[in-house]
Order: sequence, then structure tokens, then C-alpha cells
Amino acid sequence: MLKFIIKGILRDKNRSVLPVMVVSIGVFLTVALSAWMRGIFGDMTDLNANFDSGHVKVMTCAYNENKSQIPNDLALLGVEEFQKQFEADYPEIEWAHRINFGGLLDVPDENGETRAQGTMVGKAVDLLSPDSKEIDRMNLRKALSAKNASRLPQKQGEVLISQDFADRFGVKIGDDVTLFGSTMYGSMMFSNYTVCGTIKFGNAVLDRGALILDIRDARMAMDMEDATGEMLGFFKEGEYEDVQAKAIQASFNAKYTQADDEYSPTMVILTDDSTIGMYLQMANSIGGIMVFVLILILSVVLWNTGLLGTIRRYSEFGVRLALGERKVHIYKSLLGEAVVIGIIGSVLGTAMGLWLAYYLQETGIDFSALMNNVTMMIPSVYKAKITPETFYIGFIPGLFAVVLGNALAGRAIFKRQTSQLFRELEV
Amino acid sequence: MEKQFPVGKSFFTALRDVNLDFGEGEFAGLVGPSGSGKTTLLNIIGSLDQPTKGDAEVMGKSISELNHKQAAQLRNEHIGFIFQTYNLLPVYTVFENVEFSLLLQNHTAAERKKAVMEALDWVGIADKAKLKPSTLSGGECQRIAIARAMVKKPKLVLADEPTANLDSKNSHHILQTMKKLNEELKTTFLFATHDEKVMGYLDRIVKLEDGRVVEDLVNEKLKM
Ligand SMILES: Nc1ncnc2c1ncn2[C@@H]1O[C@H](COP(=O)(O)OP(=O)(O)O)[C@@H](O)[C@H]1O
Ligand SMILES: [Mg+2]
Repeated sequence: MLKFIIKGILRDKNRSVLPVMVVSIGVFLTVALSAWMRGIFGDMTDLNANFDSGHVKVMTCAYNENKSQIPNDLALLGVEEFQKQFEADYPEIEWAHRINFGGLLDVPDENGETRAQGTMVGKAVDLLSPDSKEIDRMNLRKALSAKNASRLPQKQGEVLISQDFADRFGVKIGDDVTLFGSTMYGSMMFSNYTVCGTIKFGNAVLDRGALILDIRDARMAMDMEDATGEMLGFFKEGEYEDVQAKAIQASFNAKYTQADDEYSPTMVILTDDSTIGMYLQMANSIGGIMVFVLILILSVVLWNTGLLGTIRRYSEFGVRLALGERKVHIYKSLLGEAVVIGIIGSVLGTAMGLWLAYYLQETGIDFSALMNNVTMMIPSVYKAKITPETFYIGFIPGLFAVVLGNALAGRAIFKRQTSQLFRELEV
Repeated sequence: MEKQFPVGKSFFTALRDVNLDFGEGEFAGLVGPSGSGKTTLLNIIGSLDQPTKGDAEVMGKSISELNHKQAAQLRNEHIGFIFQTYNLLPVYTVFENVEFSLLLQNHTAAERKKAVMEALDWVGIADKAKLKPSTLSGGECQRIAIARAMVKKPKLVLADEPTANLDSKNSHHILQTMKKLNEELKTTFLFATHDEKVMGYLDRIVKLEDGRVVEDLVNEKLKM
């Protein structure tokens, strides 16, 4: 009987082509869009984690309360010792010290007179330790401009500046620049560096005016030996784990945070930022949401195509009833057809969806033109991410919707008197 | 027996005071103008519908007491249907259309093949087994329908206006085929028709008018 059903579906183009098309288009959209959305939200989360918040982040309580001002006068002291303790307490986390600061960047001419000057957001990270992962985290190699002889800093005193800034002030590779700012203790400081590269992250916020230098240089300039503004922690496994992070945060704060000492360390985690929390939630639930929406839309569409199909097939059902087939049996065979159509449509749709998702994963779509004024940390090239879910997620709405559609449409068989179904074929 | 159909708020009586008896091996016909209740009566006998009052007994089974499952089983095992419009399944081949009847019963593929080819042989279209119905003429299609009804060797075949869409040559051909099967296999045939050509073949003619039996005559000429 199953053979008969399959033969019928394959031969009756009216019965198969439209539903298969509807299913595969729907599945295609689910697969491609869910992979894309997952990629986008995942990238947003990663971007924030890598550049700003880490998976977990340790600061002094006071720094945390005033963090919008980047208050390095409230920096964490004795970080060497803390680092050892944290490593012992949380072996699953690796740590990275970072100092953010604001300042003025002065570009002198050949006589040492100011040629141009601009405000600058500085980020000091470990660029020079051979085992440092910061270059990868911040994707610096890719961000290096290909238009000039840009390279990563190889020794202290070498810095990277954003391409925008360099273009605006005509800074070239090898130029000397002077940074004006303040030390941790509030006194004026200035310090000279050589530009060894220009960078463009493809993110409006990061590209607006950034200086990236080795943390040793910053410590020296800002009088921050054995101190750091922030200690970012990353799961060694790579992926952020919210449950685990929450547990670590609770145990950390219980152990290290002292209510009466505003210089004691405190830990915040990635999802403490509600926007990122939402990104993460979206990344994980987007598949489910898409599946739900698609099941709704597809079942209604397929219900209607199914209804048309059923009306068209009354004569067949009439004959089958006359031959002694039971209504329940005919109904079941309709559901069987739905399963076959659902599988064919889902396979096709998933294949097409994977193809598009792969393209979006490798190439992405560049929205940077639209994002000049964006102040959020979001990527400007929107890329998909193919996960195991991408391969099976389309089958859920694909199968479910056809079966539901046929199940609803097929009720017509029961609603009619047998002789009535039959009469309709006599016209 | 009586049959009423709901029409709006009232009822339309399609059959009234019908009291008939058909014996095994009969080749009989319900004859009457369109709307006289022929199809309604065939449907009840075929367990596709139920009488409103009274009952019909078919092969020892009371139609009004059958549930869906039992009615389906009765049709499946003992009754074959032939329609005016053939009602073949267009996506299947001639062979598969005839085979369909047997799929609902437990037969091996080999048994099915043997029975189907035998049935196609009876109606003389065994050579067209692999073709699709759409490539065949009306007469050939109706012969497939006869093969489909006969393949399971039912006791009773109900044929509703089987010649209405056929020309006279094809009509005579299929009537001869059915008459032959009636004689060889002792299958009971019950027709609903208002076609003069059919009447010539019938052993017994039951005339219906407005749902009533107005005449029930045995065709003596053919009986001889
Ligand atoms: N389901 C139904 N509902 C209402 N009236 C019906 C129904 N089926 C048949 N009838 C009526 O019953 C009468 C007999 O119909 P039918 O048995 O099809 O006649 P025939 O086959 O002799 O042409 C007709 O007047 C028809 O309109
Ligand atoms: Mg009729």
C-alpha cells in the first residue's frame, strides 16, 4: 500500500509538486534564516565578549559602579597575585588584563609641531606575549589594513590606530604619535609611540578612533604596574556557558567581594548586560521561534492546498470506499502521503537552505554603509552560522506542517456521508 | 423499505414501499427515468447508504445494522461496483487500477498478478495492462472498471448506468462481457439504467417511478 501511495505522489504532479514546493520554500527559509540569525546574534555576543565584557569580568566594585567613565584611578591593584588565585579557583577560565582609557592623540610634523590632534579611545591588551590570545580575540590580523604596510606591533612602543583616524589626519605607517592622558593617580602624562599599522574592524563604534597598544606600554605610561582596569575571563572551551558563569560569579563574589571595601574585586558576567543577554537568548531560541512561525504559516497554506487536492480527489476516495476501503484507512493514507511529501520537501529545502547558509557563513552580507552612526557593538558584516541544528531544524516544520495541513483537509472525508462523497463523483 | 433525504427543513422521499428480492446469479436491472431512485437503491444495497425505514438484507447481512467497518468489509469481500464515469484512478496503470481492489485484502504479489491478468483477460484488454487509462477509449476504460469489479470474484456486481457514456458498439460489447461472466462465474449483476440496449440483455426488469416499484417483470424472451 505504501508503494501505491508513493507511486501516486510521484506520478500525480498536482498532488506533489505544489505541496513539495511550498514545503521546500518554507524549509529553505527556516534553515537559511535561522542559521543567519543565529550567526548574527552569536557574532554580536562574541564581539561584545571579545572586545568588552569577556565571558566574565573582574573589576573593583568602585570601577564597576562608574564604569561608563572608565575610571582607571579605581583600577584593581595587585593583579599578579589575584591572577594566581583566580587561576587556582577557576581552572576552566583563562584571564586577560585590559586597560581602557581616553586621551588625545597628537600627530607632529617634521619639526615636532602639532600637525593634527584628535580624541582617542585607547585599549591596552597583551599583544606581545607569545602565548597571548588577544590578537585572535580582537581579530587584529584580519583588521589590519591591506592598503599599506600595516603589521602587528612587534616590540614595545609600537601601536595600531584606526584606519579612519589615520585617513582623517594623514597618518602613515612609521609616523610617530604622542598620546596625552592622565596616569592612574591623576597626573598629566604623555608618551610617544610609532604607528606600525592601521586597523578597521568593520564596526562603527570600534572604528571611530581607536588606539591599540601593548598593556606593558600602558602600564608604564599610566603608572599602573601590577594594576589593571579590567580582568576579562574567557572559558577555555571557547563557548560562553551561562549557567556555569552564574555559578562562578556567585562563588567569586562571595569569596572576594567585601561590602566595606570598594577596591575589592567583583565579577560581572556577559549576560548581566541585558542587551547581550537578549542576543544570547535570541541566538539560542531563534530556531525555535522560526519553526513555530513557519509551522503556523505553512500549515494554513498546506491546509488550503490540501483542501483543493482533496476536493479534486473525491472521485478517487469514492472509488476506494466502494472497493471496501475504510474512511480511517483513506485518512491514514493521506497522512502517509503527507509524510512522504514532507520528507521530500524538507530534504530539498534543507539542501537549498544549507547552500545559502554556507554562502552567508563564508561571505555574509555587508551592512556597513547603513551603520555609520550606530553606537552599539554589532558587526557590520552579517554572517550565518551553520550548526548541527541547521541540518535538522527544517524537518520539524516541513513534516509537521504537511501532516497537519493534510490532517485538517482530510477531515472532509469524514464530514460527508459515504453515499454523498460518492454522489459527487457521479457528476 | 423507505429512504428519505433531508432537504432543508423537510424530507424528500427517494424510495417508498420498496419490497424486492433478488436471487443468486440474477442478471437484473432497475429501470426508470432519471430521479426515480435507482442510484439510491443501488447505494443502499451496496452498503454505501442506509435505509430510513425497513431494511435491506444483502448476503445474510442486515444493511441497517452494519457499522462502517462491517460495511467496508462487505463491499471489499463481496460487492463490485461499476460506474457511469468509470472512475479509474488516472495516475495508475490499468494493471494497478485493477490490482487496487486486491491490495485491501491479504494477497501475495504473485497471487495479485495472476488474478489481475485473469480479470483483464476476461474483458479482453490484457495487452493494455501497462498503459494509463487516459490513453484508452471509453469502452476500454469501462472494461477496466469491470475487471476491477470482478478481480476479487465478488458475489454481487452493482452497475450504475454503465453504458451511459458509451456508443452502441461498445455498450453491446461490455454487456456481452458481463453476461458471459454472469453465466460462467454465477456472479449476480444488478444494473441501474434507462438505456434500451441494456434492457435487452436483462433477465429481469424492475421499473421504478418516483421511488416506487411500478413493474417487476421477468424477461421471458431471454429466459428461454
Ligand atoms: N443526498 C441526497 N439528498 C437529497 N436528495 C437526494 C439525495 N440523493 C438523491 N436525492 C434525490 O433522490 C431522487 C432519486 O435520486 P437517484 O437515486 O439518484 O435517482 P436516479 O439514479 O434514478 O436518477 C432524486 O430526486 C434526487 O434528487
Ligand atoms: Mg442515478
